[in-house]
Amino acid sequence: MDSEVLFLFLQQGIASGIVSGSVYALLALAIVMIFKTSEVPNFAQGEVFMVAAYAALFLIVFYGLPMWVVIPAALLFTVAGMMLFEAGILRRVKKALGEPVNLVIATLGLSFLLRGLVRQTGLGDTPRSFPSLVSTDPVQIGQAMLTRLDLAIVGTAVAVMAAVFLLFNFTRAGRAMRALGMNPKAAALVGIDIRRTHAFVWGLSGLVSAISALLIAPKILMTPEMGHVAILAFAAAIVGGFNSLPGAVLGGFIIGIAENLVGLFVSASAIVVTPFLAIMAVLVLRPQGLLGGRPQMRKV
Amino acid sequence: MPELLSLRDVSAAYGRIQALSHVSLSVPEGAIVALLGANGAGKSTTLNVISRLVPQSGGEILFRGASIAARASHEVVRAGIAQVPEGREVFREMSVRENLELGAHLRRDARGVAEDVERAFAYFPVLRERYRQRAGTLSGGEQQMLLIARALMARPALLLLDEPSLGLSPLLVQQIFGIIRRINEDGTTILLVEQNVGVALGCSSYAYILENGEIAHHGPSASLAADGAVQNAYLGGH
Ligand SMILES: Nc1ncnc2c1ncn2[C@@H]1O[C@H](COP(=O)(O)OP(=O)(O)O)[C@@H](O)[C@H]1O
Ligand SMILES: [Mg+2]
Repeated sequence: MDSEVLFLFLQQGIASGIVSGSVYALLALAIVMIFKTSEVPNFAQGEVFMVAAYAALFLIVFYGLPMWVVIPAALLFTVAGMMLFEAGILRRVKKALGEPVNLVIATLGLSFLLRGLVRQTGLGDTPRSFPSLVSTDPVQIGQAMLTRLDLAIVGTAVAVMAAVFLLFNFTRAGRAMRALGMNPKAAALVGIDIRRTHAFVWGLSGLVSAISALLIAPKILMTPEMGHVAILAFAAAIVGGFNSLPGAVLGGFIIGIAENLVGLFVSASAIVVTPFLAIMAVLVLRPQGLLGGRPQMRKV
Repeated sequence: MPELLSLRDVSAAYGRIQALSHVSLSVPEGAIVALLGANGAGKSTTLNVISRLVPQSGGEILFRGASIAARASHEVVRAGIAQVPEGREVFREMSVRENLELGAHLRRDARGVAEDVERAFAYFPVLRERYRQRAGTLSGGEQQMLLIARALMARPALLLLDEPSLGLSPLLVQQIFGIIRRINEDGTTILLVEQNVGVALGCSSYAYILENGEIAHHGPSASLAADGAVQNAYLGGH
């Protein structure tokens, strides 16, 4: 491989990696914000992502609604569903015994439920494509080729990340969420409404997942298995440090870029092991993740 | 003096472990009341039942004459009860400033909050120096001060203090209790949990002694301090 081709591949890999990475980053953000406050890895996050896209498709296919109705409706549906799950199911499971493993099982249950729900509609029987709001005309950046859609995906994703950052750091609700994640007992004692804050976090996580789903849907063939992408988001979260929101974003981009570079330089079949290798490397070299805080002893 | 808080026959359990049985006590407005007892007697549980962190299994808790049984913890704070928990329950990765602002979480009067930050600095000048520092980097004594200041930011009528002397040097204990007295003189009623019996009886007007989750003895602090038998029986003879 001469150096010119190598440079071209490098540019293409990074550019495509930023596109897919921005979607992983959003999904990782959604996972980490829940983990920080509820201490549950939400194994249904991928299915939440999947359902958001199918909810939109459902409104398009069966009701022929325009996109300006479909998108807010799908986002709202996902937010409401997440809040309902937190308040209706998870809170009860926690109250009944509250072992972390029970909460994890509850999220696994949710993932099966959501896949079943999509199968019920019949939409999942064949792979589907999702209409794109933005053209897929090519755009050249340096020597890398992307599409207008790709740029729209990255732009929207970065805007959402910035909004989440501002929300967490500069608003009352954001400070309450951080406080709850840091010290639930102290949070209750200063007067934070714990239930409402949990519901809010789950709703916000649903919103971010749904946005990432609607961004990527036009680029992929939709199937009820599309939620598997959450594995990459988990990888991103682990690489970044499972309790760090900026880490989730960084991890998302790293996984996206690594995947694309491996695909170009090694082989397409090596892509699937890339996130796994990234996780192993981080766990060995820096177990708390790139931006994760020092591991803390938990009081029992 | 009118009663600010009263517990009547309050019981609480952790699963099958009975932590409180039929605890009754009363805190008059303006007073410092002490709740004493050995490790594991149920002192923290009592405060946590009042703060609604631990559910009561029986009895009645009245604040200003109204039951708080159906309230959530944040509603109790809004009603005017703030707790300084034992241990060092600060928001470690947040600045002193953010910790204080969180203490005022339920308030919307920005000007009043700013005044109360100044008031906190008046009680604890060291917090002014540490204002932008992360709370986790403060010394034990400074964290204790931050906890008290944070609770005051809610402008509580009643302050619940859980072992403020724990792990502090005798000099620091003196200093903190001086400030606790000042806070009380400035108009905040205090329910004080302590294992440091001498200091607690010295600054309170009335005291209750918990033993195995029950009130074993109570009376004016001065007479408990003078009663050698009580001290020997319940308080390890300090
Ligand atoms: N979270 C908990 N789970 C189970 N038992 C507890 C818990 N907290 C306290 N206890 C038990 O309840 C009793 C009273 O504890 P506590 O109120 O903390 O006592 P104190 O504050 O007087 O030292 C003790 O026997 C203690 O072991
Ligand atoms: Mg205690």
